[in-house]
Amino acid sequence: MKKINKSVSSVIKQIKNLYGNSGDLNTRVININGTCVGVLFMESSSGPGDISDRIIKSTYFVTDGDVYNNLYNHLKNNIFNAQVLTTNNFDDFSYYLSSGFTIIVVDGVSEAIVMETRAELDRGVTESTSEPILRGPKDSFTESHAKNLGLVRKRIKDPNLWFDEVKVGRRTETRVSIAYLNGVADKKTVNDIKKILDDIDIDGILDSGNIKEYLLQDKSVFPQILSTERPDLVCQSILNGKIALIVENTPFVLILPNVFVDFMHTSEDQYQKPLNISFTRMLKVMALIVTLFTPAIYIAITTFDQTAVPDKLLISLAVQRSGVPFPTFFEIILLMIIFEILREGDIRSPSNMGTSMSIVGALVLGQAAVDAGIVSPIAVIVIAITSICSLIFNDVDFMNGIRAWRFIFILAATFFGLIGLVAAGIVWLLKLSSLDSFGVPFMAPFSPLIKSSQKDAVVRYPLPKIFKRPLYLNNVDEIKQGGINEK
Amino acid sequence: MKNKIVLLLICVLLACGCSNYRELDELAIITAIAIDKSGDEYELSFLIANSPKAQTSSKEGEATTTVFSGKGKTLTEAANSVDSKCPKTLYYGHINAAIISEEIAREGFLEIADWLLRSPETRKQFYLMQAKDTEAKDILKIVEPLEATPSQSISSLIESNINSQSITTTISYSPFIEKVLEKGYDPILPSISISGKVKKGSSETNLEKTEPAGYLKLDDTAIFREDKFVGYVGRTDSQSINILNDSVSEIKIDFKYDDNDVVFTSDNIKTTITNESFNHFKVKVKGSGFVSEVNGKIALEDPSVVKKLEKKLEATLDKQLNKTLDKLQNEYKSDVVGFGNRLYGTYPKRWDKIENQWNDEYYPKLKVEISSDLAIESSGSLNRTIEEVRS
Repeated sequence: MKKINKSVSSVIKQIKNLYGNSGDLNTRVININGTCVGVLFMESSSGPGDISDRIIKSTYFVTDGDVYNNLYNHLKNNIFNAQVLTTNNFDDFSYYLSSGFTIIVVDGVSEAIVMETRAELDRGVTESTSEPILRGPKDSFTESHAKNLGLVRKRIKDPNLWFDEVKVGRRTETRVSIAYLNGVADKKTVNDIKKILDDIDIDGILDSGNIKEYLLQDKSVFPQILSTERPDLVCQSILNGKIALIVENTPFVLILPNVFVDFMHTSEDQYQKPLNISFTRMLKVMALIVTLFTPAIYIAITTFDQTAVPDKLLISLAVQRSGVPFPTFFEIILLMIIFEILREGDIRSPSNMGTSMSIVGALVLGQAAVDAGIVSPIAVIVIAITSICSLIFNDVDFMNGIRAWRFIFILAATFFGLIGLVAAGIVWLLKLSSLDSFGVPFMAPFSPLIKSSQKDAVVRYPLPKIFKRPLYLNNVDEIKQGGINEK
Repeated sequence: MKNKIVLLLICVLLACGCSNYRELDELAIITAIAIDKSGDEYELSFLIANSPKAQTSSKEGEATTTVFSGKGKTLTEAANSVDSKCPKTLYYGHINAAIISEEIAREGFLEIADWLLRSPETRKQFYLMQAKDTEAKDILKIVEPLEATPSQSISSLIESNINSQSITTTISYSPFIEKVLEKGYDPILPSISISGKVKKGSSETNLEKTEPAGYLKLDDTAIFREDKFVGYVGRTDSQSINILNDSVSEIKIDFKYDDNDVVFTSDNIKTTITNESFNHFKVKVKGSGFVSEVNGKIALEDPSVVKKLEKKLEATLDKQLNKTLDKLQNEYKSDVVGFGNRLYGTYPKRWDKIENQWNDEYYPKLKVEISSDLAIESSGSLNRTIEEVRS
């Protein structure tokens, strides 16, 4: 801790040195009745206008002679601002200045007044673009930390909704709020997370994605932490006893611990009819299987296990394949890589280039390649089914995890046929089952099988029938809804 | 350590070299085979399904068929001679029909049964048929109308007949062999023949005509004794055999009532055979159905008439079954119903003594009592006959 110099001019000098005379550092010295008052703020991150006005105003109308003798105390008590702090630590100055606060130093006092004058440097609450839904609240998180906390707080009014704050990053000093329901969520997990965050000693954290990597250092390609920009999903998770990490300057909030089925759910699931949603979820499970295995099965049955194909289909496949110069494996890999490039290109390119991209993609991939005899039509169909089914999941990490395993399955099928594919499938299941995040098995509630938690796993029961929070989360309070004994 | 394991894995992957890897377009998919005998040699013909149409790109997905034939002292030799003619690897995994010539059937089928049964690649559930009045390989050459993939015409011909008529029979390869090997059982085979001209029927233009020059037809049923062919029986007899074997799904029986033709249709015929004593069997046929065709004037709404119709129907069926059985017992001496097998089940010791004389001595003398119990439950969509309404 460094003490604050009692002389305003030397404090200003120190600050200017600290920031290397940065142009956006504004230092104004006001002489009030012979006492020098220094007003320090960053033009770039503070709100404009009436900063110094407030100081003068707060002294102007006072005629009591005593005011000028004790200017510091008077300012502290009379500044027109909701958030006025004091500090006697010079080291804090840079954090406050960069965050958009205004610091007021008074000659002869070794304390400083800190006043909140943050500028609105975000885009306001808008609709979610990465997780669109049909029915349900449309707002999404923004880059403003206070707004993000507010979006959660206004939904859960219980004072037991606690935000534990940790600052991460030596240089960025990013605020990370650990949001959870006190008395519901597992306290041990909260402490574990806090400890991990405290131990991070990096210069900067710019997005919640950075923090993800510290929380779980496993080698799995599947994500175990969900990131979302939907406040309602975060609140659902918090109510279920999960923990959310709200990171400053990013709209993506992390939710943990998560299990495999969570990646097949959306917040919308809770707002629609349970029977229909159960059907949708089963479709998603089917899509998962299709997108994982289709190319591998195609390779296996056309190059090894032809006997497994019905007669007419085999003949049709054989005729389609004839004239294609490449082996099936190469054909599939070629198409898949082209599709992945197309997808990546589509995300990165500005939206007005997207149309030309998809036209070229569809024509080159779909029509011309078949006409030219480079690939067989059935291979295009296989890749099309695979890619369409992979788009049903909205978590990018999850999608990429599927992609990685799809390649592994393709390799297994190429070398060992259906037997290799089955073996690789078993390895995949074993890998998934061996994962756990903060003591929660990744494949719960299926492995280990928890009966009462099946009510909101693949099928969804009507809300009035779900009495307990997911049991695998090790919650302190498991009762979600009253009336469990009456029915 | 970990690096070593990875290295080992890579080595395993490279060393295995994809042992049974084969690209689909390098295979000649055989969908039917035909076995003939010419002189001392076997002639093996393969129907290969996936020859793409000339001058079209692969996207059209259309296939034409090609027939390759080869001769040899053994079937393997014949197959090898085909292999040397065919530009692709022969693939036996999808055979769905095998046709044997009459000559081979007469000499005994078991001689050649081994080859197909032994190969691990072939399915054992393909249909087995006998070519009647023609060489087996000609059957393969017929280009059938009404079927998208010509290679499927033979099996689809059989499959469409299984349910609708019960006047032919269907049997696949391994049940046939099982029946041959089983004690006190003789198998039957469907026969297939060509109507029209072979030459014209085997050209592609056959498809373009409204009335095809040649087409395949399921013909009489071939009766076997052990694995040797002994003779054909016609449609009525085939139907009777199917009834006796309790393997009918839908059946149509036509009979005369007061000089009017009546057709009775039933889909729940059930046959039970009981063993009364060592040489006495009782066969009971039970079922119900409806009148599907009446040419004449019969008061179908009158219950007493229906009773009379039933009586007449039962008598007709009894007569038909007895006639067939008589033919099998005395003319062909072939136990296709498996009475011997039932005796073997109930009297194993006595069976052992007579096993060798069964077909020649005991089977023809076997007393079989047939009684049928059929009920006419409705008269179709019409209550009365058209003739009746007119008068």
